[in-house]
Amino acid sequence: MSRALAIVRANWLTALSYRLETMFQFLGLFVMVVPLYFVSHALQPMMASTIKAEAPEYFGFLIVGWIALSFVNTAVTGLHGALSGEISTGSFEALLSTPTSLPALLAGLIGHALTMNVIRAVAIVSFATLFGLHIVWSSAITGVGILFLILLAYLPFGIVAAALVLGFRTTGPFPTLIFTGSALLGGVYYPTQVIPSWLAQLSVLVPLRYGLKSLRRTWLDGAPLSASFADLGVLIGMILVGFALSILAFTLALRYSKRAGTLAQY
Amino acid sequence: MPTTIDRIAHPVSGPAPGRTRVAVSVKHLSKRFRVRRPFIETLRHPFEQKYMQALNDVNVDVHEGEFFGFLGANGAGKTTLFKTLATLVSPDQGTVVVDGFDVTTHAADVRRVLTPVIADERSLRWRLSARENLRLYAVLYGLPARKVAARVDEVLEIVGLDPADDKLAGRFSSGMRQRLLIGRALIPQPRILLLDEPTRSLDPVSARTLRAFLRDEVCKRLGCTILLATHTSEEAFELCDRVAILNHGQPLAIGPTDKLQLEFGEDHYLLWTRTADHPAFDMLARRGVTGEAVIRGIDDEGWVRMEMAIPGGPDTAAAALQQFVQQGVSVARFERLELSLGELIQRVITRKVGGRSE
Repeated sequence: MSRALAIVRANWLTALSYRLETMFQFLGLFVMVVPLYFVSHALQPMMASTIKAEAPEYFGFLIVGWIALSFVNTAVTGLHGALSGEISTGSFEALLSTPTSLPALLAGLIGHALTMNVIRAVAIVSFATLFGLHIVWSSAITGVGILFLILLAYLPFGIVAAALVLGFRTTGPFPTLIFTGSALLGGVYYPTQVIPSWLAQLSVLVPLRYGLKSLRRTWLDGAPLSASFADLGVLIGMILVGFALSILAFTLALRYSKRAGTLAQY
Repeated sequence: MPTTIDRIAHPVSGPAPGRTRVAVSVKHLSKRFRVRRPFIETLRHPFEQKYMQALNDVNVDVHEGEFFGFLGANGAGKTTLFKTLATLVSPDQGTVVVDGFDVTTHAADVRRVLTPVIADERSLRWRLSARENLRLYAVLYGLPARKVAARVDEVLEIVGLDPADDKLAGRFSSGMRQRLLIGRALIPQPRILLLDEPTRSLDPVSARTLRAFLRDEVCKRLGCTILLATHTSEEAFELCDRVAILNHGQPLAIGPTDKLQLEFGEDHYLLWTRTADHPAFDMLARRGVTGEAVIRGIDDEGWVRMEMAIPGGPDTAAAALQQFVQQGVSVARFERLELSLGELIQRVITRKVGGRSE
């Protein structure tokens, strides 16, 4: 744990050394909320009936969707992005030469992106609250737990992408497919009921669909956790299967790259 | 009596004088890599595979406290051997034991006792200070939290970066960065250090300083066993107790550099004369006393440096010199030729495998 935290700390210090960029990142979040507010208000009359099962207002629906999607993005792309960066600078070889376990290394590598995402989510919620977002604060912690489950459900995709980088130095279209598929079929911008039936069949495979529905009901409606048991059950099942498969993929990639001599190659 | 060549023909190197405990033991190590084929060829013969033999039955023992060099042309197998020792490449055959731990079955233990100095400066975190760079690796090497700061201070002092400890690594000179890279590897107090061409990006003065630092501080004072891959004569001849000359993944000769010089370079001499066109040179060459004399250079005063082979050792060389003088050749200087690293490697390869090198 201390090793993973040391990597996160080093990455934070590195990121903070780019002061202007850090400042612009947060300014950008504020700028993003403003059009979202106006667009959602313009579409509210049209969307009200279709989103009523998940949220009373389209603005809240979008904000929560965006936050969940940002965690999906971090989980799917954060790990292989950090790994590629470390490989291309040659520091991955240095990291691998220490007795640090691979899970600790991976946790450390994604840790910075993850904490950055948490800060971004808090900032977005804060800005959105200024614009009238209603969160049921008594359910905030439960919602954070659901958000964590969404993250866990997508981390296996990130691990598989990292395995592809480790073995073949490219992820191909894999992360883009997962991210775009989840954004389109997971109910981020519209509820999954409005998806055409042939696509809706595909959306049952998208973890975000289950997590996001539960998250919105909890944060925006204040629904008890018991109301989301069925959805969360599916999500937990996906997490278990996902981790088993992704760890297998990563182990195979590691073995392959050690055999092929490409483990620390640029 | 067995010569050095006889000894080095044996698969396992003998112990260095005065040393007994083996720090690194490599036995029958082989490794081959699949060669990437052109797309068209892959389409024509999809199931055919081509391989490149990176290491071929390597046997070498490095002893505790030894400064051991690996020499050879590019692609000779030095880096693959180092990556295998650092547990980054898994061997196909053979065993590699580092301080009693097998690299395949006890990789984490190996990484506790052996650290590679990654010579690539980019592997440092340029936006962090020297102190922060070392601090990160102190934690990654598992130092207890209470000891981290003290160890970082200690290493900064060892590598002479204590006055610049809070300066960003990106603002360091190349020499300072090399020191920081070595400092990073010294953090866990390793018993064995791997150095892959550590001075390749340094100017001659910085390289000399670094060599002195490695010899006096790291090897002698700290007692590290050092394995060094190098193309530089100074590093091989000044630093290494013993060297192994690799070719196509196979060690062809192992031994102290001075002995290898004697073994492979004893028959070459340099004679300084002002009468380079004297018939005695041809006459002695025809009689087989010397090889053909080759002009190596002329100085401002007109002295010509002539290189020639004189087989048979120092006595034969002395007799040949006497004959040159008797014939009236003016001789200002006569010396046994020190081989350059490239010549030494080439001669070893020529003698052992008939000149086949990459």
